[in-house]
Amino acid sequence: MTVFYFVAFLSIFFALLTIFTKNPVHSVLYLVITFFTFTIHYILLNAQFLAVVNFIVYMGAIMVLFLFVLMLLNLNKDTEPMKSNLVKFIGVIAGCCLLVTFFGVYRVFDISNPLTVVNPEIGLVKNLGKVLFNEFLLPFELSSLLLLTAMIGAILLAKKEPKQI
Amino acid sequence: MGAIITLSILALVVLYLGLFKMKSMLLPVSILGFLVAIGFLWNDWTSTSGPLFSGMVHFDHYAIAFSVLCIAVTLCIFVISKGYFDEEGQIAEYYSLLIFSLTGAVLVNSYHNFSMLFLGIEIMSVALYILVGIRKRDKASNEAALKYFLMGAFSTGFLLFGIALLYGATGSFDLSEIKNYVVNNPQAISPLFYGGILFLIVGLTFKVGAVPFHFWTPDVYDGAPILITSYMSTVVKVASFAGLLRLFSYSLLPLQDFWTPVFLVIAILTLFVGNISALMQSSFKRMLAYSSVSHAGYMLFAIVAVGATSANSIFAYGLAYSLATIVAFTGLILVKKTTGSEHFEAFNGLGKRNPLLAFAITIAMLSLAGIPLTAGFIGKFMMFSSVMENYHIVLLVLAVINAGIAVYYYLKVVVAMYFRDSDESCVNVQWNYSLVLFLAVMLTILIGVYPDCLLKLI
Repeated sequence: MTVFYFVAFLSIFFALLTIFTKNPVHSVLYLVITFFTFTIHYILLNAQFLAVVNFIVYMGAIMVLFLFVLMLLNLNKDTEPMKSNLVKFIGVIAGCCLLVTFFGVYRVFDISNPLTVVNPEIGLVKNLGKVLFNEFLLPFELSSLLLLTAMIGAILLAKKEPKQI
Repeated sequence: MGAIITLSILALVVLYLGLFKMKSMLLPVSILGFLVAIGFLWNDWTSTSGPLFSGMVHFDHYAIAFSVLCIAVTLCIFVISKGYFDEEGQIAEYYSLLIFSLTGAVLVNSYHNFSMLFLGIEIMSVALYILVGIRKRDKASNEAALKYFLMGAFSTGFLLFGIALLYGATGSFDLSEIKNYVVNNPQAISPLFYGGILFLIVGLTFKVGAVPFHFWTPDVYDGAPILITSYMSTVVKVASFAGLLRLFSYSLLPLQDFWTPVFLVIAILTLFVGNISALMQSSFKRMLAYSSVSHAGYMLFAIVAVGATSANSIFAYGLAYSLATIVAFTGLILVKKTTGSEHFEAFNGLGKRNPLLAFAITIAMLSLAGIPLTAGFIGKFMMFSSVMENYHIVLLVLAVINAGIAVYYYLKVVVAMYFRDSDESCVNVQWNYSLVLFLAVMLTILIGVYPDCLLKLI
């Protein structure tokens, strides 16, 4: 339990830092650390697969992509988007909507019983593999078509055309 | 199942043929592959089996009929494509992308599990995003591809979220399980389920190009190469409708009262927006794009008035529409080759120069407008009668008004061909074009005169 509280504290701490830092690149880096703490949470919950996917896809691929985009955009004081009153007004309305939704949800739903996992090993990679290669064998095989199509397309569109004479 | 495997292998074989620079082999091999796939499907017709691969795909009569239709239409498009892509480099890649897309269409026709629906739609669309933008130097083609990609990715998000909500409510991706859930809990259906249905409607109506989500259609159909446009407006549209109808007529039928009004509104809007915008166009290609939007409206009737005959009527309509569209686009390719224009004026005087070609286009236009003795009339007749049975009289009246509007803009081409003169030279029609034109026109008239063969098919 102490590990959980420590990691939870870290998640919230870095999430707050993500919001409050002025420098966008630092903000993204803090977000990466936040995601890393999520990965630890998943491992604590015995969800190996989610942990791996979170680590590779979100932390690895998507956040690095974010970082690249930020660097390419080259954000600084001059290119900062206008913070007009209208934008602030819209932001306030959106925030209030979110709050109303939260209260609505809180009123409608009861607090559920403490979660009883039927099969505590359900998140293990081993079980996922079993489902993937028995029940979902056909979609698993066919997703190779999807990836191949995307690959051919990327090469076809990005390839340099032969010089026309 | 044999068809899916054949098509997947065919696409890879075509890629390898391209690698070894055997350009002349591409077309015969692809056509042979299509015939083999149709043969497999034909074989499955009599031996009806249940869902295969632990309920992933189900090749019942419905799936087989639509799959054969899709493969046959693609076959026609391949025959026309001879000589179309000649000036461009990588023909093998185009062919194999089209075959991949066709595989996705067959999956959408035969899915019995949401994971297959999602995969099918994605394979179908991803290949098309690329094919639409295949002309890298053409600005319109680039714009169309980007637009289609962004909007398509967004709609896929809706579809996936809908599937996730249905999974949250029922705990299964399987169509039968979802049906059981709806039948067994008539009172206590979770609100998640209704939300899921709405998201699915958004995702799927985007793919068929119905009105609140049709904004991509005209630009994409206009910007893509004509051959790809004809593929998109026939195979993709028919397959998406088959998937849509399968979901709503099989799994979600008990909740009809919830989703019928939604489809009713979509159908009426689609008819009016499609037809009235088509009226304003001066480009033949863009007119066909808007007319395909309005035809989506007519095809939605089968879902509004879902019943025992709706599978048959949507098949008949899809067949008639595909045949006529192929003829129209073939005519457009030929005319554009000589005159270099896609406008109605390009067709001026075609009746004198190429009487046979003009006749074929006339039949196609009459079929699209739904004039008796053509296949289009049978399709419209079946749609209207199914709506009649359900007493949607207002919808029927609006549909008849729209059919009247449609006659006007379809006949614009016919008027241009027969009653206007121009000094263009004669259009040169190669044998492969004449073959496809002949087959499609014959089938259109045959179905129009003798529709019984189609009415009790599925």
